[in-house]
Amino acid sequence: MSEITESVTLTIDGREVRAVTGDTVLDAARRAGIPIPTLCAHEDLSPFGACRLCIVEIDNVRGYPTSCTTPATAGMVVRTQSKELEELRNSTLELMLSGHPNSCLICDDREDCEKYRPQPAKAGQSTKCGACSNRSGCTLREMSLATPASTLNLPTLYSPHKLERDDPFILRDHNLCVLCGRCWRVCEQLHGTPAISIVNRGREARIGTAFDRSWVDSGCTFCGACIDICPTGTITDRFSRWYPAQHRELRTSCQLCPQACTLDLIVSQGQVVASHMTGFKRPARLCALGRFAYPQIMSSAVRLLQPMIREDGDLTPVSWEETISAVAAALPNYRDGSFALIAAEPQTRESRRMYEHLAVEIMHGQLFSQPAGSGPDDLPSAVRDDITAGRIRAVWTAGDYLTQELLERIEYLVVADFLPSLAARRAAAVLPVAVLAEDEGTLQTASSQIKTLATPLAARGKARSEWTLVREIVQSMGIAGFELPSVTDVVRADDREYTVAPPNGDPRDRVADLPARFRGHVLADIVPGLQALGLRATEASAPVEQLVGFTVVARDEVVPNFHRLVIEAPAIARHAQPGQFAVVMVGEKSERAPFTLVDWDKEKGTITLVIEEVGRSSQEIAKLKAGQRIAHVSGPLGLPLPLDIPADNIASVPATPRTIVLGGGCYGVGSIYPIARAFKQAGAQVITVIEGCSEHMLYMEEELRSVSDRFYLATKDGSEGRKGGVQDVFLDLYREGLKIERFVAIGCSFMMRMVAARTAGLGIPLQVALNPIMVDGTGMCGACRVTVGSETKFACVDGPFFDGYAVDWDQLFARRNAYMRTEIEAIPQTAGNGLKVLQPAT
Amino acid sequence: MTLATLQQQAAQTWTQFARRDRRRVLIGAATCGRAAGALRVAEAFRNEFARHGLPFDSDSAEAMASTGAERVLLAEVGCLGLCYAEPLVEVQSGDGSSVLYQRVTPQLVPKLVETHLLGGHPLPHSALAVMAGEPILEIPKFEDLPMIRQQVRIILRNCGLIDPTQIDHAIARGAYSGLARALELGREAVTAEVLASGLRGRGGAGFPAGAKWAFAARSAGDEKYVICNADEGDPGAFMNRSVLEGDPHAVLEGLTIAGFAVGAHTGYIYVRAEYPLAIERLQAALEQMRAGGLSGPNILGSGFDFNIHIKKGAGAFVCGEETALIAAIEGRRGMPRPRPPFPAVSGLFGKPTTINNVETLAAVSAILQNGASWYTKFGTEKSRGTKTFSLAGKIERTGLIEVALGTSLRTIVEEIGGGVLGGKGFKAVQTGGPSGGCIPAQLLDLQVDYEHLAEAGSIMGSGGMVVMDEDSCMVDVARYFLTFTESESCGKCVPCRMGTQHLLRILTGLTEGTGTPEDLPQLQRLGHAMTKASLCGLGQTAPNPVLTTLRYFAEEYRQHIEEHRCSAGVCRELVEFWIDVEKCNGCTLCARNCPVDSISGEKKHAHLIDTSQCIRCGACRSTCNFGAVMVRPRAVDRGEKRVVANV
Repeated sequence: MSEITESVTLTIDGREVRAVTGDTVLDAARRAGIPIPTLCAHEDLSPFGACRLCIVEIDNVRGYPTSCTTPATAGMVVRTQSKELEELRNSTLELMLSGHPNSCLICDDREDCEKYRPQPAKAGQSTKCGACSNRSGCTLREMSLATPASTLNLPTLYSPHKLERDDPFILRDHNLCVLCGRCWRVCEQLHGTPAISIVNRGREARIGTAFDRSWVDSGCTFCGACIDICPTGTITDRFSRWYPAQHRELRTSCQLCPQACTLDLIVSQGQVVASHMTGFKRPARLCALGRFAYPQIMSSAVRLLQPMIREDGDLTPVSWEETISAVAAALPNYRDGSFALIAAEPQTRESRRMYEHLAVEIMHGQLFSQPAGSGPDDLPSAVRDDITAGRIRAVWTAGDYLTQELLERIEYLVVADFLPSLAARRAAAVLPVAVLAEDEGTLQTASSQIKTLATPLAARGKARSEWTLVREIVQSMGIAGFELPSVTDVVRADDREYTVAPPNGDPRDRVADLPARFRGHVLADIVPGLQALGLRATEASAPVEQLVGFTVVARDEVVPNFHRLVIEAPAIARHAQPGQFAVVMVGEKSERAPFTLVDWDKEKGTITLVIEEVGRSSQEIAKLKAGQRIAHVSGPLGLPLPLDIPADNIASVPATPRTIVLGGGCYGVGSIYPIARAFKQAGAQVITVIEGCSEHMLYMEEELRSVSDRFYLATKDGSEGRKGGVQDVFLDLYREGLKIERFVAIGCSFMMRMVAARTAGLGIPLQVALNPIMVDGTGMCGACRVTVGSETKFACVDGPFFDGYAVDWDQLFARRNAYMRTEIEAIPQTAGNGLKVLQPAT
Repeated sequence: MTLATLQQQAAQTWTQFARRDRRRVLIGAATCGRAAGALRVAEAFRNEFARHGLPFDSDSAEAMASTGAERVLLAEVGCLGLCYAEPLVEVQSGDGSSVLYQRVTPQLVPKLVETHLLGGHPLPHSALAVMAGEPILEIPKFEDLPMIRQQVRIILRNCGLIDPTQIDHAIARGAYSGLARALELGREAVTAEVLASGLRGRGGAGFPAGAKWAFAARSAGDEKYVICNADEGDPGAFMNRSVLEGDPHAVLEGLTIAGFAVGAHTGYIYVRAEYPLAIERLQAALEQMRAGGLSGPNILGSGFDFNIHIKKGAGAFVCGEETALIAAIEGRRGMPRPRPPFPAVSGLFGKPTTINNVETLAAVSAILQNGASWYTKFGTEKSRGTKTFSLAGKIERTGLIEVALGTSLRTIVEEIGGGVLGGKGFKAVQTGGPSGGCIPAQLLDLQVDYEHLAEAGSIMGSGGMVVMDEDSCMVDVARYFLTFTESESCGKCVPCRMGTQHLLRILTGLTEGTGTPEDLPQLQRLGHAMTKASLCGLGQTAPNPVLTTLRYFAEEYRQHIEEHRCSAGVCRELVEFWIDVEKCNGCTLCARNCPVDSISGEKKHAHLIDTSQCIRCGACRSTCNFGAVMVRPRAVDRGEKRVVANV
């Protein structure tokens, strides 16, 4: 029986507003389209009243009640705007921002910077918007940018929380948390006892688990609701966090188990990168597979993409026509009852119907539908006996269901699957199939619903939907009646229904109930993160240890994301000169990455590099420990920075300059050190400027001071030194009337570009150290080409230092951004070193 | 069982205990006494009795039944409130008089036993007061002591006089007669009586208790709760602790009456875990209540069922806030929640709930025992009754006192408290703990009641009163309270969590000499935002110590900022110590106490502090008996100010 909901009338900002029984003042305001800022409130969660942004004034009510928690009553008079409210909200927002990295929000160059860097840096710790995966979706950022003020009147109190990277799937950076509480509130709402809550008090308060256990050990079911509801970048989806914001959403049903939960898929450039719940109420919850494994399964690097047939003993990629003809030619030999088709549940009704047609009606054989989660050991013994005895001579398998022994007994084998398997290697024909969001049709769920899948995405490679393959093959066999132009023609209204076995337990509530296989394949092999949830992989993924190579003497994180790495490399140490760099390859399959030689010790035979973690390879380096080995270190490479200026550059400048001004930002702070030292030793007056987004990101100050005559700091947020960057100090020094002979700037491309833009026209030469993509580093491959003036130069052998005013910056940015997608996909999805493999939870 | 039966039994036990014609030793063994060494004194007595071959008994019911006049009765009692003089021991030799001894040590015990207990001759040197009988020698009567004379002990009526582990003692002195009367009067009449008494909640808010009960009584539903808030989190406050340790039945009776008035059948006492003795006393008292039919089903045959549960806290100041306390009892994280809904409508487990402070409930039992009009004789029109205060800090006589509301601050500090310790200059009294404020010397004649304290910018709070002298730095005091509130903030709401951090950061900077003039308006602005926008009382009142010290001691702030000077000599970074050669006589005491050997000098010659070595710990200053170690502003090169990123 439906409740009669009464409505009440109240006044908000002078307007009469209708509210429904049970509405809060916030609900009523929203109904009327009156905006009130909120952060901790969420339409799907019970009111909490923590952020204090939604405060209002209500007649006859003391103080400033929060509209999200105050029930709307008849005759209430509410004001959402007033001078006092504005001041209090601004103070609250300011206080909130003072506990959160905010330098980008108050940086004067933010818009330009984000124009040239459309993607945030894929840093380890999010020290600013420019290094935060949620830059485009962050509510706090949105609110802050909407409030006009480019200064914060309060210093930032950074919380030194460790990055939580050791759990699968979900990454936490508590330095970004504003304790809105949405995450643990949604966890409580969905699961009863939440796995996370606020722990500790005062400045130590943060989101955590009981007794600091891992999330896996705390009963987290990895439903991902906390990720989706977090308004900042604190809790993120490890796999999809760096994909660009432009995407579309696709609502469909999961096909990893018969529950067939509804999902909202996030599709970016045709690829499924994430899967979200459709809401935050309990029935919409997902399990770890639907939430996290789904996108990774579709994106698996080892997917079968090419149809293949065995010719002369070898599997050869051929066209679909050839493959279909070959299968259609072979199958009629087995229409005597010696054919078996092993289908994989869950499958679409259309797949199943077509398989029925093929296996039973056409081939007069048998159809076995393997239940969801089953594998080779679960094949019915009758089938195994029949194959072993030779009564079944031809098999079509839709998954990994055949053991080595059985495979040896099969005369003709067709594999229609999406991943390689033992069977695929022995098959006569391999048909790559479309899976999950690439599939089309309808599903019969365990709760006897029929759900229609969304319009399919284009399948990877040449994969096709199974039902179409059967159609083609059947037609190629000359059998009539299978024209079936579209998937909707396959299942007829009078087709008998079939029941689907419900899944064991409920993986949405218990990680122990997660099915271990999909189409017979071990899920933990496809998605290694599942190992931490107790699913066993065929081979536990262990980090490959580099046993020979260059020894790491030390690796320290000097400031967040910046690592000082000392390596034993005596030959390089002996020959190194200021301005040169070394190429580092951590493992035999790692990328070659160039880093400036910051320091070297000829006696000890060591070199020092400063590395910023911004992606896969730098992350690899960031995890190195003293005593470990690096496969390859090549150097010294590049031309050392000449202490005088080459003749074909700016004219009429003395050979050894008298005053040079050096500027370093981010990793450039380290890079500028050997330059400063060299100029000092050559007798120049050295003025060094370093910049960072905030004062806690500055490092090597003592070392730089010791080799400089004058030393300046600049911070983007003004927390120390001059508010602004290197270019601002350069201009200050120029305006001081200082006779500057040369500028040298090393930092990110945007910083160097800005320095060039601001100091152009002063008549002072500027040298910058360019950082294009680089591969071999010795002048062979051309990857590092840059345009300087009208010439093409290679940064590795003609640079890395070039005339800053002549660099084609746009081209440099375009080339640096060219592999954004690949870089994102390259970031490891597991914790790597330290990934625990748990006992299956009971 | 009727009350009359219980009272009969009680009278017998009490008479035996309270007889003046027998040998008896009472030792003040509440937590304050124990901290001063009372248990060692008790052991010394037992050893001494054994040595003399004196049979002695405790005052348990069994023992009381058999004890004869010649056996010594030895019992531990609660706190009399003269904490500065602990351990306190009351000795009577059987001649009808009884003497209270102060600062008793185990060394004194043999003499006490021999000379007074057995010999009948009191020792005037160590005596504080005469508890029964006429003044002896120079020893005044207890009620004439300056510390006691002005007190009106209603809440503390039994503390220090009864054995808190014996329900009979409490009953003999009136306990549960209030409950019996309440059961006869009926719910509405009881609420009306409490309302008429003018009793205001003693936890700090000062809301009329009767009105609070009426809200919950009016709420629909037959499942309701009453809760006694015994969390007492203010640093330096021990009023509730003393009542719970010294006279638990006063509170238990009050809670039961509250339950009856409101219509609840279950009561909780939420006691902080840091009060193990109080918890022990409550548990024992509860068992005795049940045995006597005073708790549980059908209390005193009235048909009223009421069960009391004790719930221990787990170390969070914020759990003294009523909605956080409710969450804690429910097994949830102790975080406040917004109101509405108010606990009277939806509280514990979503049911109508009334929460009262320990002291409020101890007053309730007295009110029902003696009547509302009796209660209105004490206090002022708007602030009826009495209030306990824990008098602490730089005062001669620290302790637990109870006065009628409206008593002047001067009376409390000078007459009851005996004035500032060591005769130093009075600077301020801090009332209300971390939520309160400082009352400066010019307001010493302030009447202590809810209105006048609020006008002065402070609050009554739970009753903490800390006296400060010229050696207290008010900026440092504000900083101290902020270190407390910052670490106790639950972290839920932004203004409190971040605001306390910033206030603390700024205050710490001020005490370290890195303050700037912009800090003062910043403190005001943040304080204002916190007061208005915080979710609960913790955040709303956390700025109070700052705001009140800014109001009355702005000069000290100015000195810290502009002159880098701390005139009280407290802020280490701002002071340096030097020895006045006129006053120094070369006793070498300071040099011997210096932890870094920075003081040089020959015996009998003036000494010198090497300021480059000195770490400014202040040991020399406090050990010098001649006041020769002086304080002056420290001359330092300020250098470039660096903003503190992490406090």
